[in-house]
Order: sequence, then C-alpha cells, then structure tokens
Amino acid sequence: MIEVDSLAAIRSGNRILDAVTLTVAEGTVTTLVGPSGGGKSTLLRCLNGLETFAEGRVTIAGHKLVAGEHPPRALERVRRDVGMVFQGFNLFPHLSAIDNVTLAPRIVRGVPPAEARSRGLDLLERVGLSRFAEARPATLSGGQQQRVAIARSLAMEPRVMLFDEPTSALDPQMSAEVLDVIVELARGGQTMVVVTHDHDFARRAATQVVELVAGKVHRTGPAAEILAGAGH
Amino acid sequence: MTAARLGERRHWRGWLAAVAWLLAAVPGTGLAAELDEVLARGELVWAADQEGGGPHVYVDPENPTRLTGFEVELAAMLAAELGVKARFQQGQWDRLPLLLGRAADCVINGFESTPERARDWHCSRPYFAYALQLVARRDSALDSLDALAKEGPRGPWRVGVLTGSAAEIEMRRRSDLAVEVVGYDGTVDCLEQVRGRVLDAVLMDDCIVSFNADRFGELRGVGRPFAGGTYTILTAPDTPRLSKAIDDALGRLITDGRLKALYDRWDLAGRQQMLLLRDATEVPPARRGSLADLIRGALPLLLRSAGMTILLSVASFPLAIIIGLAVAVGRLHGPAWLRPLLAGYVEILRGTPLMLQLYALFFLLPKAGLALPAIVAAILGLAMNYSAYESEIYRAGLKAVPVGQFEAALALGMTKWQSLRHVLVPQAVRIVMPPVTSDFIALFKDTSVCSAITVIELTKRYSVLALSTGRIAELAIVTALLYLAMSWPLSLLSRWFERRLERRSERAPG
Ligand SMILES: Nc1ncnc2c1ncn2[C@@H]1O[C@H](COP(=O)(O)OP(=O)(O)O)[C@@H](O)[C@H]1O
Ligand SMILES: [Mg+2]
Repeated sequence: MIEVDSLAAIRSGNRILDAVTLTVAEGTVTTLVGPSGGGKSTLLRCLNGLETFAEGRVTIAGHKLVAGEHPPRALERVRRDVGMVFQGFNLFPHLSAIDNVTLAPRIVRGVPPAEARSRGLDLLERVGLSRFAEARPATLSGGQQQRVAIARSLAMEPRVMLFDEPTSALDPQMSAEVLDVIVELARGGQTMVVVTHDHDFARRAATQVVELVAGKVHRTGPAAEILAGAGH
Repeated sequence: MTAARLGERRHWRGWLAAVAWLLAAVPGTGLAAELDEVLARGELVWAADQEGGGPHVYVDPENPTRLTGFEVELAAMLAAELGVKARFQQGQWDRLPLLLGRAADCVINGFESTPERARDWHCSRPYFAYALQLVARRDSALDSLDALAKEGPRGPWRVGVLTGSAAEIEMRRRSDLAVEVVGYDGTVDCLEQVRGRVLDAVLMDDCIVSFNADRFGELRGVGRPFAGGTYTILTAPDTPRLSKAIDDALGRLITDGRLKALYDRWDLAGRQQMLLLRDATEVPPARRGSLADLIRGALPLLLRSAGMTILLSVASFPLAIIIGLAVAVGRLHGPAWLRPLLAGYVEILRGTPLMLQLYALFFLLPKAGLALPAIVAAILGLAMNYSAYESEIYRAGLKAVPVGQFEAALALGMTKWQSLRHVLVPQAVRIVMPPVTSDFIALFKDTSVCSAITVIELTKRYSVLALSTGRIAELAIVTALLYLAMSWPLSLLSRWFERRLERRSERAPG
C-alpha cells in the first residue's frame, strides 16, 4: 500500500530525512516513533504531498510521487485516497460538525448533499458524536473535535489514513476516547500510519513500529521488539 | 460602561460636530471688513475661481505662476481707485459669495445680476453685459435653438452648463425644451465634453465662447446669443461704505473711458458694452419665501438626491468588495507575475485622491474613445478606489486564518481554489466584517465627491439649493438629518454584525 524508497528531505541546508525506506502493507498499522525533531511529521507530510522531498520515491495507494515539485492535479488525486488527521484538529470553525464532514465529499467527489449528509451522520455516529452534528467546533471539547476530524477524513473513504500525534494536545481521558476510535478503525482493516508517543497504543494496535532518529530509520520491527523496555 | 452606552456617546460627538459645522456655514455677520479696514490694510481682497476660465480669470499659459483675464485688470483698476493694492483670493466658483466677510472683500468673477443674489448680497452697478450662446459640434444634428424643442437622435439633448450660472438657471427654467442639463465647474471641461461627444452642446456666456473659439475649432455657435444680462460685483450686505466706494469707482471707470479701453484691449466689443451698460436697469431683489414654502419645495429635491447617494453607495460597494477580494486572493495565491501588478493597482488607488480618479475616468477616458455616463464613472470610480482598501482588509483577514486550515482542506483533496472558496475566504469574511461595514459608511459619505463629475447627490443638491435660496443654515439642518437618517441604520447594521459574530463564537453545544 505504501512504499518509501531512499527518501531524503532537505530544509535550510539540513538533511532532515535521509535514506528513509519503509513498506506498509494493506490493512496494517504502522506507528512512527522517535525523539522530537526526528523527522516524523515531515515524513508523514511527504506521503500526501503537503511537503516535497529532494531524493527518492514514494508509492502510496497506487499513486507515485517523485522528488521535487508535484503537479497540483496529481496531488489532488493522491490526497483523495490519503486522509490526514492533525495534532491541532484543524476543524473548519465556520462550519458545524456535520458540515465539516460533508464538505469535501460534496465539492471534491460531487456526492449529492442528502447522501453526503446521511453518510456523514453515520460517521459521526461511529465516532460517538451524532448528538453534536449541528454544533460548532468551538463548542466541542478537544477529544470531540479530534473525533469529528477523524470522521471528516473518513468521509472521503481514504485507502490510507495518516495520523500526526492525534492525541498529544489532549488530556488522558480525551486521548483514550480518540485512541479507542483509532483502534476500532485498525481492527476494521484500515491501512494507517500513526505518529505517536503513546507506546500503549503501539502495543495494542501496531503491526510494525518504525523508529526515526535524526532523519534516519533507526529500527523497524514489531512493537514488542522495538518498544521492549521503553516505559510507559 | 456598556457597549451601547459607548455607542450613544460616540453619537453625541457626531451631533456636536454637526452643530459646529452648521455654525461655520452661517454667513459671517459683523465680521466683514468695512472700507476703513480695507484702506488701513492697504489691500482689496477680491475672490474668483481661476478654474472658471478665460477671458474672466485664468492662468497665463505662457507663465503659469501669473493670473490674467479682464477681471484681473479690472480688480487692479478698482483697487487703484480706492488707493490700495488688489490681492486675489481663490475659491470654488459657485461658493465664492460665502467667502465675503471672511476671506474676501468682494467677488469679481462673472457673477450675473439675479434677483436671488440681490436679495442675499450687495450687488454693484453692472460692469459687463453678456448674452448666452449655445455651442455644439460642427457635425451635430443640433443646428438651431428651435431644434432643442424636440429630442435628438440619442434622446434628450445633453447640455452642459456652469453650475450656479445664469445659463444653468435659464436651462432648468425652460421646461419646454427636450434637454438634460449637466452641471460643470469649469468652462473648458464643458467644451471638452462637447468635443468628446459626452455632451451635445453647452450653454455659456458669449464672451467665453469667442475667447475659446480658436482652441475648439470643431465647435460652432448655434443660433444667436439670447437671454442677456449683466455682471455685478458682490460685496457683503453689511459693508455699505465699501459697496458705495466700489460703485463710485466703477462709475468713474465707465465715464472716463478706461473700462471701454480695457474691453477693447480684450476684444470684448468695448463700444457695444458701454451702450448696454449705460441702459442697464437694476435688478430688483427677490422676496425671501417662508421657511415652510422652502422646505416644501426643497424636500422632494433633497430626497431625490438622497436616493442618488444611496444608489451610488449600494451599487459601488458590493463591486468594491468583489474586486477587493479578488485582488487580495490574487496577491496571496495568484501566479507570481500577477502579484506585483496587483500590488501596483492597490498602491496607485490608495496613493491618489478619489477626486483625481473620478476626473480621469470621466474626463480622460473619452479622449481614449471611451465615454462613460457620469453615474457609471462615479460608481466605477468609487468601486475601484474602495476596492484597494477592501483588498488590504481582506489580505489581512486571509492571513489571519491559520495555515492549518489550508492544509486540512488540501489534505481532503480540495484544489487550491476550492480551499479558498469554501474554507479560507468564508473565515476571512467573518474576520473582516466589522472593518468592512465601517468602510461602507465611509464610502457612503465619500459619494459627495462625485459632484465633481456632474453627478448631483445630496451634498451637491444642498449647496445648489442653499446658494439659490440663501437659506444656508436651515437647509444644512435638513440635509444633515437626511444623512443621519441614512447612516444611522448602517451603524446599527454594523453593530448587529459584530454582536452576531461574538454570539456565534460563544454559542453553547447543540
Ligand atoms: N521548513 C523547515 N525549515 C527548516 N527546518 C525544518 C523545516 N521543517 C522541519 N524542519 C526541521 O526538521 C526537523 C524535523 O522536524 P519534524 O518533522 O517536525 O520532526 P518531528 O515531527 O519528528 O518532531 C526539526 O529539527 C525541524 O526543526
Ligand atoms: Mg511532529
């Protein structure tokens, strides 16, 4: 599903990603771990073209990305198949929860409004928020907002989901609500890459763990092996 | 203090300013300089508008720092008769009398003797005789005065006149003619508009026509001069000794032949002038009508002009917003080559006066073959001018939307333009709503500048009515009330927007 081959990214003259190679099989969960500043976010953002890279190749959900600037059309095709959930939620504050979820299906995929809405309500139900369909993001708790963001991403029926520290901005109680949703998705066979410091989550759900240190893949393997001894 | 109380206080300050402005508009009583002061000062200050044009008072094309014209020489001769020097005071032509008693001792600028003027000011004995001449292009279908009775090929004949002049009064009085009267501030502007086919004809004093004949070879006089009259020197009503001194001095210039010599030198038919001046009868002053009659007569006109003010605002502001938004988006997200062009557009429109832009649209575009009707030019000019300000507001608004919003939209597969349209712009619009609404109020008031290009809106209508009726203060109150009646709802609207935005961001979970 995802092939990353000898990826290198340079920012301000520094190689912040260097010879990164990894494979994610369909229906598996990969967690990216490592110290802060190790390049995890940058790698994730290279996978859906929010950032460019200098060397190497990425194949994701059947699309190819090469080094340098990507043509806008190609990016739009990739992003339709690759969802992303951000640390800061980034919900659209001027839209209700349900409108956040239905906007992209309606305008990007041309789904009729009524159909988009009924599917959107199903998704909110799945993340436990059907009661809040008409609420504005500002009136929701952080955990609720992140669950709406997940529903918004799922609405595009992505083949791959990318999560960049989805629970770092949340307290433990709300983190648990959000992680339960992600674990549930993983059980349902959703291919995903999750950047997280939460080793419990990695042990519970990860098929493989990739440790990124100073822009290089330090270790790759099953959670039990990589996270052995690492406390939490 | 609550927001509402603050708003009230702000309003009171507006009222105070309005009252102060009204007091300043009342003609200065008791301030006028009498003859002794003029003599002590050693200067006779005379007011005229150098923009009005020749042969009266104009800038010497050979030496642009020098004023010339037969009235410049007349002023010098009169001052010499009083034993003082003449000093020129510039003013806008139709408002020159308002300078009397404040910035000028007398007005010498082709002011026709009319009953209204005799009522409000002191009018000297006549010093010049004129008649009105219609001027059109040589190739025009308008070939006789009779032709004005029936519409031309493009509808009513568009006839330009100097605002406040006898020609304007004559044209507006003649309801039997199929004409649309358009008021201008300068005679040359007027003739240019006939040449540029914006106007079909212009009606002006015959001496102006002959003075400009060489410069406008493609124009010609239509029919014979008609509706003659005389020019008078205006002085303040409360300076009888100065007025008499001027009358006496004029009398000496007429009897000893010096005035005739002056007119002969300017090729103004000196001999004929003297015959006409000798027989000229004094114009009796008009009666001052009752205030009720005045309001009854003026209110419909003021209301119609208030309608024009509203039309100009509501037509131009949405355009300004659309252009401004497009410019802001183009500067932030458009192609690299477009950005400096748009930055230039904004800087030019913000860095030059609105008046100049309106002038360019209305007077210069016809030279490039694009003659816009005055209202279209006014709406376009206001829209373009304000679009520069709106674009800066929108640019700030767009920048205030967190970058994560754009990334979230792109990550969902939206194109750049879809992200802008559905995610960034709607948020920016909410952010900028309060400053944009207050700009609408500013534009609403700026519509008064459009009178410079012949559009008659509320302020212009006020000044025309005030000068023709002499009821400067009373009409100012009515006009100010009309403005308040229009801008008050706008401020309420803008406060409603602000409150709605506040409430929206506080709304409880649903
Ligand atoms: N645009 C950029 N310009 C300069 N340095 C950058 C840029 N983006 C990221 N970096 C640097 O690259 C390194 C990796 O960043 P990041 O991918 O955010 O790491 P992580 O997500 O693992 O904490 C950091 O040292 C960061 O400062
Ligand atoms: Mg990071």
